[in-house]
Amino acid sequence: MDRVLTFEPSLCTGCRQCEMACSFAHEGVYWPAASRLRLVRFEELCASYPVACAYCDDAPCEEVCPTGAMGRDPSTGYARVLESRCIRCRECVAACPLGAVDLHPKTGHPTRCDLCGGDPACVKVCLAGAIRYEPGPRAAARKRRARVSVRSALEGVPDAEGA
Amino acid sequence: MDLERQVSWTESVPPELVATHIGGRGVNAALLWKLLKRGTDPLGPDNPLIFGTGLLSGTAAPSSGRTTVTCLSPATGWYLKTSGGGHWGVELKYAGYGHLVVHGRSPHPVYLWIEDDRVEFRPAQDLWGLDVRATDRAVKDDLGDEDIQVACIGPAGENLVKFAAVMFSVYNAAGRGGAGAVMGAKRLKAVAVKGGGFVGVAQPARFAEVIDRCRESLRRDTGFDGLSRYGTSGSLAVVNELRALASYNFRRGHVEDVSNLTGQHLSAAGYLRRRVACASCIIGCHRYAGVRSGPFAGTESGGPEYESFVALGSGCGLFDTEAILKANELCNIYGLDTISCGGVIQWAMECVERGVLRPGDLDGVDLTWGNGTAVVEMVGRIARREGLGDILAEGVRRAAERVGGDSYKWAVQAKGLEQSRVDTRSAKAYALAFAVNPRGPDHLMTETFAEFGASPEARALMTRLTGDEAKIDPLCPERRGAVVRWHEDCYAVTDGLGFCAFTTTALYGITPELMAEAYSAATGRETTAEELLRAGRRVVTLEKCINVREGATRADDVLPYRMMNEPLADWGTADVRNSQAELDAMLDEYYDLHGWDRETSWPRRGTLEALGLSDVASELAALGRVPG
Repeated sequence: MDRVLTFEPSLCTGCRQCEMACSFAHEGVYWPAASRLRLVRFEELCASYPVACAYCDDAPCEEVCPTGAMGRDPSTGYARVLESRCIRCRECVAACPLGAVDLHPKTGHPTRCDLCGGDPACVKVCLAGAIRYEPGPRAAARKRRARVSVRSALEGVPDAEGA
Repeated sequence: MDLERQVSWTESVPPELVATHIGGRGVNAALLWKLLKRGTDPLGPDNPLIFGTGLLSGTAAPSSGRTTVTCLSPATGWYLKTSGGGHWGVELKYAGYGHLVVHGRSPHPVYLWIEDDRVEFRPAQDLWGLDVRATDRAVKDDLGDEDIQVACIGPAGENLVKFAAVMFSVYNAAGRGGAGAVMGAKRLKAVAVKGGGFVGVAQPARFAEVIDRCRESLRRDTGFDGLSRYGTSGSLAVVNELRALASYNFRRGHVEDVSNLTGQHLSAAGYLRRRVACASCIIGCHRYAGVRSGPFAGTESGGPEYESFVALGSGCGLFDTEAILKANELCNIYGLDTISCGGVIQWAMECVERGVLRPGDLDGVDLTWGNGTAVVEMVGRIARREGLGDILAEGVRRAAERVGGDSYKWAVQAKGLEQSRVDTRSAKAYALAFAVNPRGPDHLMTETFAEFGASPEARALMTRLTGDEAKIDPLCPERRGAVVRWHEDCYAVTDGLGFCAFTTTALYGITPELMAEAYSAATGRETTAEELLRAGRRVVTLEKCINVREGATRADDVLPYRMMNEPLADWGTADVRNSQAELDAMLDEYYDLHGWDRETSWPRRGTLEALGLSDVASELAALGRVPG
């Protein structure tokens, strides 16, 4: 697991293609309520913020699971929910600090981003560039470069408004 | 929904109707034909208000989330379909419904709450009087849920302003023709929706493959990047150069410097906060823009779109970006159509200039060209129906009747609808399209931007439709019937599937062939582009028949006085106008192509029968309105 989903909310147009693509990849239908990635929308500001599993180290959702249903595929590292073990206690939902673990609207089992096994459907449809699949440090590098203008670099003065 | 009795029920859309009328606009039109009694008062309880989602809305088909609202228009008295973007329609789809039909009138203000199978009528006395943004907030607070979608009206709809909009997702308007006033007359403040369900398709793998191709085709279109980056107003400077920019109430087709009114300026000058997309849209042409300093500091809103910039800006001789942003924000939150609102204000400005309105008529507002404060002030007065605003709230046709004199000559309307901000004198296909448009002179039934030949895709289409590359000329009146009719068919299909017209008749990435493939994969019923366009024509013909039943004739297929009688300025010595002779020749070609009678404009029996509209023919025949 060398790559993660990174988000650039300021670029998100709120089109929900990601939720549609995610649910289609996992459910075979267009079902945002069952999407592993969800948009937090602020309608009156036309702003949206994508949220999905961040693949935390020592993931709280896995630690609190009393049955071992929340886990990762030992060979690939992608998230896996063993529904046969799940007792639908919802501890994982309570434990996730991001709100990235939800309950499937039909089965009630937890849903969590599995990165589509290494080829995330949401990334492919995000033309705005708000969702990427890349090594974590690359997002930070991109953010630094976007924030610093050539002028501020030459003059040695940080540019708060960005390039 | 019956608001009178506060009951709701569900009915299935018959599968054969999906085959013949597609969905969205087409199915809405079929429902209206069935439900509307001849001679109904548009603002009475018996005018059905029909919301329709596109057949593909809720799927990931790119830009397929538009919603059509259908009723009899209080502005024109004729058929109205008006459509909006945003996210409300797909939410309704996820709740399990394709269409919502509202009957009757509630005894008191009410709002509807639809959560999957649960439908509630909730009191809205406390919401009455709130603006659109506050209504959206209050509904979410009342229901204790942020993840719901709201369609609502603002004070303009409550006050029955003839061009009040139905607003979706706060800033997306179904603006034209006054559907917001119909909603207000029903005392229906809002429809809140949350859907936890899914939208499936008959052949998932094939559908996914088709919409991948739709997405790729759209991205390859030469207009994609510009529309995405700069929004609809990104093309405003181009239209100015084409000398078709409706300025100073359509007295000018060109102004010296229009740069303040462009999408490029919104970005460069720091007004643009972010790009915004409707449901499933990969273009994202919508804007969210604001003003940080100066007299209009604190302004923030969706838009402005091309039409809003021209209607509230250059049309009023106003080139102050910040005043236009403010006026646009107020239109949005009062729930007003920016096109008509700008239209009535600039008509009043011309009345002042010509002395038809006197200072005593203006309640202290200085309505001289280019006065941004006055434009901003009038928006509120119209929505609240104060003073002159009460007269303007009736639209320019009725306002001109009231004010009198020669003011009808610069009331730029036909059928009672203010013309959208395209000058038809220098664009002949637009002229024909606007004249025959059942809802009035407007671009959102038939968008013939191709006639300008502004992109390779447009030139290819025009060559195909006219059979002659030399006819790619907006001043050429020949073969415009063929151009208009293809765009009509294509637009009706576009609206039926829920696609945005920008994907099919402004950009051309989503072709009728791709739409047919998407339809086939979604429904499992094989169709072809030809058959789908034929369904489009069936819908267009049915819409015409709704107006024929209400009494429309060829005499109603007209253009505003100014278009017909005054040459467009900025064309030197050329006499650029829409003469009656020129329009008549185009109408003859158009009616002939359709199989409609030249004299009356009514569809012939054979035409109706060939389209499978025999029942429509019988009903019109009983009224003596089916020529042989």
